[in-house]
Order: sequence, then C-alpha cells, then structure tokens
Amino acid sequence: MTQNKIFGAGSVSYEKQGRAGKKSKIKRFWEEEKTVLEEEKGGKKDVGGRGGGGGFHEVDVGSGSLFHLVTDEDLLTSITNDGDSSDGDDDESELDESGEDDDEVVFESEDGFESGTEDSGASSLGVENTKDEDGDSSSDYSEYGSEEIEHEGEEGNNDESSEGSMVSHEHEEESSQSKPFCKVKQTSSSNVSNSSTFSNKTLSRDCEKNINNKVAQVEENRTLQQADEYKSDTSDEEDIRNTVGNIPMNWYNDYAHLGYEWDGKKVMKPLKEDELDNFLRRMEDPNFWRTVRDRQTGQDVVLSDVDVDIIQRLQAQKIPDANFDDVAPWVEWFTSEVMQTPIVRVPDHKRSFLPSRIEARQVAKMVHAIKMGWMKPREQKKQSQEPTFYMLWQTDEGVEHMRRVQNHIPAPKRHLPGHAESYNPPPEYLFDKRELKVWNKQKTTPWKRKLHFIPQKYSSLRAVPAYDRFINERFQRCLDLYLCPRARKMRLTIQPEDLLPQLPNPKDLQPFPTVMSMVYEGHTDMVRSISVEPKGQYMVSGSDDLTIKVWEIATGRCLRTVPVGGVVRSVSWCPNQALSLIAVAADRKVLLVNPGVGDHLICSKTDTLLDEPPEHDVIVPERVKTAVQWEQAPEDIWKNGIRVIINHFKEVRQVTWHARGDYFATVMPDGQNRSVVIHQLSKRRSQVPFSKSKGLVQCVLFHPIRPFFFVATQKVVRVYDLAKQELVKKLYSNSKWISSIAIHPGGDNLLVGTYDRKMLWFDLDLSTKPYQTLRLHGTAVRGVAYHRQYPLFASGSDDRSLIVCHGMVYKLVIYCPFIDEMFVPPVLQGNI
Amino acid sequence: MAVQVEVRFVTKRRQFAVPDTPFTVPSNVGSRELNSLINELLKGRDPDKHCREVDFDFLVCGEVLRVPLSDHLEEHSISSEVTVDVEYFERVPAPEPRDCLLHDDWVSAVQVKNGWILSGCYDNTLHLWTTKGKHQLTIPGHTGPIKAVTWVTHNDTLVTFVSASHDQTAMLWEWNVSTNAVECIHVCRGHERALECVGVSSCQSRMATGGWDTHLKIWSAGKSYFAQTPLMTLKGHKEAISAVQWTDSSEICTASWDHTLRLWDAEIGGIKTEIVGNKSFFDASWSPLNGLLITASADKHIRLYDPRSTEGSLVKSTFTSHTQWVQSVRWSTTEDHQFVSGSYDQQVKLWDSRSPKAPLFDLKGHDGKVLCCDWSEPELIVSGGSDNTLRIFQSKQHK
Repeated sequence: MTQNKIFGAGSVSYEKQGRAGKKSKIKRFWEEEKTVLEEEKGGKKDVGGRGGGGGFHEVDVGSGSLFHLVTDEDLLTSITNDGDSSDGDDDESELDESGEDDDEVVFESEDGFESGTEDSGASSLGVENTKDEDGDSSSDYSEYGSEEIEHEGEEGNNDESSEGSMVSHEHEEESSQSKPFCKVKQTSSSNVSNSSTFSNKTLSRDCEKNINNKVAQVEENRTLQQADEYKSDTSDEEDIRNTVGNIPMNWYNDYAHLGYEWDGKKVMKPLKEDELDNFLRRMEDPNFWRTVRDRQTGQDVVLSDVDVDIIQRLQAQKIPDANFDDVAPWVEWFTSEVMQTPIVRVPDHKRSFLPSRIEARQVAKMVHAIKMGWMKPREQKKQSQEPTFYMLWQTDEGVEHMRRVQNHIPAPKRHLPGHAESYNPPPEYLFDKRELKVWNKQKTTPWKRKLHFIPQKYSSLRAVPAYDRFINERFQRCLDLYLCPRARKMRLTIQPEDLLPQLPNPKDLQPFPTVMSMVYEGHTDMVRSISVEPKGQYMVSGSDDLTIKVWEIATGRCLRTVPVGGVVRSVSWCPNQALSLIAVAADRKVLLVNPGVGDHLICSKTDTLLDEPPEHDVIVPERVKTAVQWEQAPEDIWKNGIRVIINHFKEVRQVTWHARGDYFATVMPDGQNRSVVIHQLSKRRSQVPFSKSKGLVQCVLFHPIRPFFFVATQKVVRVYDLAKQELVKKLYSNSKWISSIAIHPGGDNLLVGTYDRKMLWFDLDLSTKPYQTLRLHGTAVRGVAYHRQYPLFASGSDDRSLIVCHGMVYKLVIYCPFIDEMFVPPVLQGNI
Repeated sequence: MAVQVEVRFVTKRRQFAVPDTPFTVPSNVGSRELNSLINELLKGRDPDKHCREVDFDFLVCGEVLRVPLSDHLEEHSISSEVTVDVEYFERVPAPEPRDCLLHDDWVSAVQVKNGWILSGCYDNTLHLWTTKGKHQLTIPGHTGPIKAVTWVTHNDTLVTFVSASHDQTAMLWEWNVSTNAVECIHVCRGHERALECVGVSSCQSRMATGGWDTHLKIWSAGKSYFAQTPLMTLKGHKEAISAVQWTDSSEICTASWDHTLRLWDAEIGGIKTEIVGNKSFFDASWSPLNGLLITASADKHIRLYDPRSTEGSLVKSTFTSHTQWVQSVRWSTTEDHQFVSGSYDQQVKLWDSRSPKAPLFDLKGHDGKVLCCDWSEPELIVSGGSDNTLRIFQSKQHK
C-alpha cells in the first residue's frame, strides 16, 4: 500500500503537470499534434493529448510508462469496481471518511497546484478556478473513489487472488491508513478535473492503450517505452504483482512462469487454453469480446464500458475524452502580434531622463542669483586656527635627532649564514689541519681570518652546544653599528643636456657682420687675394687682371691701381705700421709695393728706406741664390709704387708677413725642398729654411708672438721653432688636403681649412689633434680667418657662402690652457 | 561691421583746432580717412571762410599713423575701447628736386649756408655754388680727397669755411664774396692719418677735427698765429672718428668706428659721456632742438640715441628703410622731428623721428652711393654722391 501511495503521489504530480498547461496549451498542442501524431500510434497520441505540458514529448513518453504501471494497478480496481458495485452500505459508511479525504485532497491539490503553477508559469488564476471546480466536482467522485478503494480492499480479501492477497492484506493491516490511500486516489481523481469519468477514465484509457498495443501487435511503442524507461521519475516504482519489471515478456516464453511476485514466488503462467476452451469461452462468456489478457500477469481482464468507449473513440480517430471541448474560445496568453512598444525590462537609458521641471526652475533661479551676485558661493572654510606651539624647552640643536627620525639610514644587513655555519657542514667546509693551523696562527690578527669561527660538525642539532662567542659577537656588532659612521650615498644624476654648453643667443654676440655692406667694383678678373691695412682704412686686392688695387674701405673708392705684370696670387699688407708696404706675389715675382696711402710721413719714410739697398757683406749660398734674387725696382715702375722685386725660381703661391713686419715668407709649391723661402726686408736677404721636402707645401704662417713657423703640407701642419731651428709639433689634420690656415691673434689657436669641407680648430696647447672639427660647408673650404679683436672667425667656401662663427677664447689663468667656446654661425650668402 | 574706436583730435596748431569732443570712427581707418574727417570739421567750423585743403599726419601714441588705426593700436597694445588721443599736424610737403650740380669726381662733403653751397670732392677740390646752381668757384689746395666741409663765419663780404681732407690737414679758408677771391688762412697740420670730419663750435671761434688717427683735435678758428697748432688733442677713441659736432660752446659730440659715441668737454679735455653701441658709427648728428643723436651704421639702420638719458635702453628707436650702408645723417635745423639720411643704396630719405617704420619721403635721383647730405638751410636738402653730382631738393616747410 505504501508503494501504492507513493505511486499515486507520483501520478498526482504528473497529472498536475499535465493539467497545469492543459487549459492553456491543450488546444494548440492538440491541433499541432493531431497532424504530427496521427501517423503514430493512437495510445501515444492519446497520452500526448492529455498531458500537453511544456515538454510535450518527454512527458508523453514518460507518462506512457507511468500509465502503463498505473493501468495495471488500477485496472484491478476498475475491474473489481465493475464487478462488484453492490456494496452500497460500505460506500456510504465510508462516505464521511471520503469527505474528509476530499478536504484533504483539496488541500493537497492546492499544494500541488501551487507547485504546478510555479512549474508551468502559467496564470495561477485559471488554475485556481479549475481547482475550485475540482473541489466541487470531485465531491461526486469522492464517493466513487472511496468505494473503489473499499471495494478493492474487500475484493482483495475476498478474491484471495495471487496478486491481490498481498495488497489486501496490507490494506487490512493499515486500515487506518486507508485515508491516505483514499487521498491518493482522490487526488488523482480530482486532477482529472473536467473529465466526468473519474479515474476510471484514465485507467480505462490506459487499459485501452495497452489493448491497442496488443491489438495492433506493434512492438515499436514498447521499445520506445523501454528506451525511455528511466526518464520517468517513478521508474523505481515496481509492479509488485510481477517484479520482473518492464521487460519483453517473450523472454519468459520458454518458462512455466511469467515472473516473480513481491516475495519471490513465481508468477505462474495461466494454463494454456486450447482452441476448444477458447471456443467454448467465446460461446459461453458474454464478456469474451471485452476480455483481454494482461501480459504482465498473464491474467484475463475484462474491459469496462468506459474503456470500450474510449477504444472506440480512438479507433474512430476522435478525442478520447468525450467531454473535451475542442472548440473552446482561444485565449491568447502570448500575443502573436508584434507589439509597437515591446514589453522589455531593459533599464532606461540616461538620455531618456527628463529632469524635473520644478528642479530645473530652482536651478535656474540659483544660477540667476549667482549671476546677479545675490548669492555667493560658499566661502571655503578657513583653516582651523590651531594653536601654534613654540619650542620653549628645546633648541634647534637637535638636528642629529631629527636626522635620525626623518632621514633614517638603516643599518647594513648582515650576511646570511652559509654552509660553514651549519651544525653539520659538508666535509669540505670543515677545517683540515693546515687550515686549522693557519686559523690558529692568526689569533692576534683575527680580522685576517677567512672565517671568524671554526666550522664544526655535530651528529644532530640536539648536540649543538650554546654558542660561546654569542655575547662577544653581539658586542662587536653593536660596536660596528655605533662606531662606524653611516653615510647616505648620493647618486649624481646629470642630464645629457646639462653637459652641453650653453649656447648664447646670437643677438648677444653682436657685433658680427650680418649684411653685405659694400661691393668694391673695379677689377676685371678674378680676385684671388685681399689684405687689409693694419689700421683698417684701406684694403688691397690682387686679381687675375694683373693688377692690385688699393681701396678705401669705407666708401669703396679705388685709390690706386698698380699693374704688376702677372697673375696676383697673394697680397699681404705689411703689419708694421711704421711701414707702408704691400707684398704682392705675382707669378714668379714678389713685389714690395708702397701704396702711398695713409700717413704721408710713413710713406716717405718707407720710400727712403727702400731707396738704397743695404750693403751685402754676407755671401748668399748657391742654393738660395738660384732660388731667389732681390732686385731694386727700376725707375719706370717705381712711380707706380713698386719698390723692390724679388724674383723666385718658381711660381709664388703665397706671401705672408711676420707680425713685426721685417720678415716675410713665400711659398712655391713646386719648389721641392726650396718651396718655402723666408725673406728679411731690412737686410734684403733670403733663407731657405728647410733642406728636405716634407711634402707639397700649401701655406705657411708666422706665429704672431713667438718665433714659430707653421708649414701646412697636404695633411699635416708642422710647427717649427725658428730660433732653435727645430720641429716643435706636428698637427694632424685628419683630412686629405689642407687649403688654408689662420692663427688666432693670441697665438695659441690655429684654424685650418681643408678642401674636404672641414674646418679644424687646433688648440696648440692641448693636442696635436683638432680640438674641434666644423663641417659647416657643403663644399671645399678655401680660406679661413680670425677676427683681430672680436671672438669671430670666418670661413669661405666654394659653395659661395661665408660662415662667420663665434668662438670665444678665454684666458682664465696664466699657464692654464685656453678654454674655447663655440659658435653661432651666421651665414653670409654671397652671389657671384 | 567694423569695430568702432573713439578718438579725440588734438593739435598744437591753433588755426587747425577742432572741437574737443571725441569722435567714433571705424577702427580700420587710415590717415587718409582721418584727414578728410579733419578737413570736413575745419570746413564746418567756419563755412563762410574758404579753407584750403590741408594734408595732415596723425600721431597716435607718439608714432605717426602709417597703417590702419586698428593695426597701429594693436602694435602698441592699446585697447580699442578707450578714447585714443590723435594728434594731427600738417603733413610735410614732398620735397621737390630742384637742381643737380655736376662735379668732376665723387662729392664727399657738402654744406649750405646763406645761399651758398660748399662742396668737397674726391678730386681734392672745393667748390662754391650758389643755391641757384651757379658755380662760383673751384678751390684747389688739398692733396687728398676732401671728406668734410663746414662754414665758419658769415659776414656780408667775408666768409670763412673749413675743409678736412685725407691729406691729414684741415684748411681754413677765407672767401671774399665781392671779389670772389679765396685765401687759405691757415692749414691745420697735426693729424697723423686722414681726416674724416670737422665741426665748428657754436661760437665760431673753435673747431674740432677727427680722423683715422683716432684723435680729436681742437683748433682755433680765428686768424691767430696759434691756429697752426691744435689747441687740444683728445685721445680716447680706438678707431677712426667719423663725425664730430659741437653741441654747445664747450661740448663736442663724436662718433667713431669703435662703436662708441662720446661727449667731450672741450674746456677740460675729458670725456663726459660715452655711449656704446654695437655697430660702427659712420655719422652722427645732434639736434639742438631736441637734444637727440641720430647715427648711421653699416647695417642699414639709423639709430636714435638720447645722450641725456642714463637708464633704459640706449637706442630709443631704430629707423629701418635703407637697404645698404647708411653713410650720413643730418637733423633738420628747424623741425623737431625731421632728419635726412643718405645711404649707399642711392637714396636720400626724409624721416620723421616719430615714424620709425617708414620714412616720410624717399629722395631719389642719385646714380651712385650717397656720400654726404646736408639740411642746414631749411629749404634745401642737398646731397652728394659717387655719381659726381650734388643734388638739391627744395623742402617747402609750412610757416
């Protein structure tokens, strides 16, 4: 009976599920399923039609098996019911009980419905209504149900049939429990709400299904049921009449029994009837046509009228439930139409926010008030006037104290112990005799020891004694911390930009030339060389038109033109201000010209000086004599200003004066070892200082102060000491071809221009390598020059540009090398 | 809709005074519109009297209005919302070229006085011309190009003048106008290099010369025997002295190539003030009317110095319009704010010191470098150049 009860409950839950969706869904499902399932078996379709829940098919299949079980059990009742409908007293006597049951049923079903509503999610209202209806309608059936049960119980007792005995017995024992049983029945009945046929209908329908199965002889349904057997929640509920379960019964074909009862007894097959018996029964038994065999138990079962009716309806392809209203008005719980404003629960977007008009008005009021100055923003609270305390009892001397607090330097960390410190060190850490000896020897100088202790081996940590030097080492550590000053290491961070010199603003470096001021017009051919008078009033220029011209600088007036009879490659004004003299290198001659400008006195003095050649009392060496001959200018060219002619054996490329104006040097690049000649004006004497050719001499230069002589060959500038007659220095230009050199008036800085576009600045005191290399020009640098006073130097190049650089030469201390600073290059672009 | 500016017109000339009420004018007006406005106002003041049209120049914030008013105000960072005082004065009428006196060589020195033009030439001669352009006299005597000439005294018949030359001498000449005879009173020898400039004191008794020997020498301009030797030699400049001018009877202002301007005390013989610029000065002119110095430099700029000021930047303003080396500058002797400058870009320019951006007029005509210019006589602007000409422009000043 308990099994029954449980089983019943299971069916209840199922029924509820089925019902919950029934009203809402059944129609639609039915319509759909009609078409779909028509090909399938009637039983299945039937069940599907009834249980149209959410998971239609699943429920369908599960319920199939369920119904099968239910069928077997309830068939009995229905059959017995049919069989014995005479026990009216009993029925009535049990009526009260059943009434109570009814209440309970209602209660239970309520629960069930609630759960059902929860499950299905359908409107609970409709279900409630139906529930009420159930309550009402079921009162009719309650009798019926209770009757049944009683009947069953009685039947069980009376029949003493093999399957019923056990059940009935239990029932008797638990007569008090008939209530729950009833309840179960009732529940199931009430759940079959609208059906007027009570549970019988269900039962019979299920019966009929089975019959159908039988009649149709279709195994498919069964296999389907088998396959989905375990999907059912109630799969553990067994048919206690035959415990073999839901197996193909043909497995027992070869046996005399069909299965096993609850207590293990064999369920014997009924006696096999032969054709004769069968015929006799058909003839005799009026119910033969409605008798079917329960394959599970092997018993013959007589179908009731209701069952037969359902079977007929099914065979006629009608809805098995006669009361079902298949044309009930359609309740559209979920509309099929697309709604204009779909019901969605997405929270509103911020931009859909509409501020309150009242609030907006208030805010506007406030803004207006602020604008008009009526309302002022709240002033920030003044910082709370905390009382100021003065240091009365303490002085500011506690700097060290504050440093320890604020600028704490942590103590240096000790090394972590190593293997040697281990109580059980590896053997290589243990001292051998020699090491021990050394260790002992260093007793007086313990700081020289490699280890401050002797590694020792103990068998176990337990055996390690107390460390005898603990106090000592602690003390030492304290001393270390206390006595050793700790200093914070400051790391110097220097930005690369800081290392660069501060370049001055070009405006601050004025004066330097910025515009072309004057064009001196008059020469008809290329001007190769110019030289400015020491005073700066006049200028001389030598040109390829075989003349030199003397100009007044300020006005550009050509004051004098002297034809020199050769291409002028170099002109140089004598730096001696007591002389008015220009040295002109024209072809193979060097002419000394008195321009006749400037002080008349000086001019006349110069003339008188050069008038008479001094007496020669020194024999000129042959080597010099063949190279250079001095000659007094003849009368016809004397009036042009030419005073002295010095004939050279090769073409003179350059002439340059010594700062004092007595010596001047000439360069003949083709002159081999006599390419440089130094002339002395006062004695009208020449020397060839170099006996060996060191290369193609490009240009020479006198040091402005010291008796040094610079000779620039193609790659090297050699510095000779004329007094000591020795080579002082060799300056390596690191370039291919030097074009020109210039020396700073201070005498320690040399500027070298090269044909490979570089300008090199040598600091003579520093190095033989260029102090600085300027690659400012795009083409070969032809000439370089220093300004006499201002920290300027200039370079002229083949790219028609003149670059004026600012290069300050500082003299900080005597004997201290110059410190040079570079440059702001204003570029003067000329045009040819 | 243009921005409106409120202006108030003021003037120093009584006959052109307009009501003191502010006017609102569009900010983009130029001087031409303001000019017509003023003329209308003047016409409206006394409609019965027929006024001739007068051209005015307008002075806003101490500078002559050359651009639209809004730009001008923006340049001076003045708000267009305040009332702007606009001073107006009669525009200087354009000088008219009047004559061209041909010389044999570069004309390097010139001065006009009392209807006579004295010019010095690179061919070592002095020339006397009338302002009508009639050549009066050629005076040889120097042996070098003449770099400076100055009139000393003027009597009806007897005129003295001095000339400085590259031959290291300055010569004092006496010219008898009636007989047209010139006599060299004496030759000032003492300089060791070429002379560049000469100046005569306001009392006409002394003169100062400077040159390439960097010395400033003071001579007596009288006929005394001692005039042969310098009264005083002032050393201090490091480069050539390019200009010398007496500011009063005992003070000499010099400009030099060594980038300095100096004021010397001719009595004591010392430097009173030194102004250091950063360019060589080729000429300087001091105006007794406003006490300011203008200088000429090679970098195209004319600079205005105030020798009296001790603070602030030395250069009060820079006049930039020439395209080349400026060789000479001269203040007007009558107008506070006007001066002329001659440059190697073949132009003489007439400037208003309140208009540093642009000159009042460009006086063109020379075919070569302008080596000298003079405006001693208010009506005549004369300039000599390397095209061997002396050009005369007639300046019509309103009186």
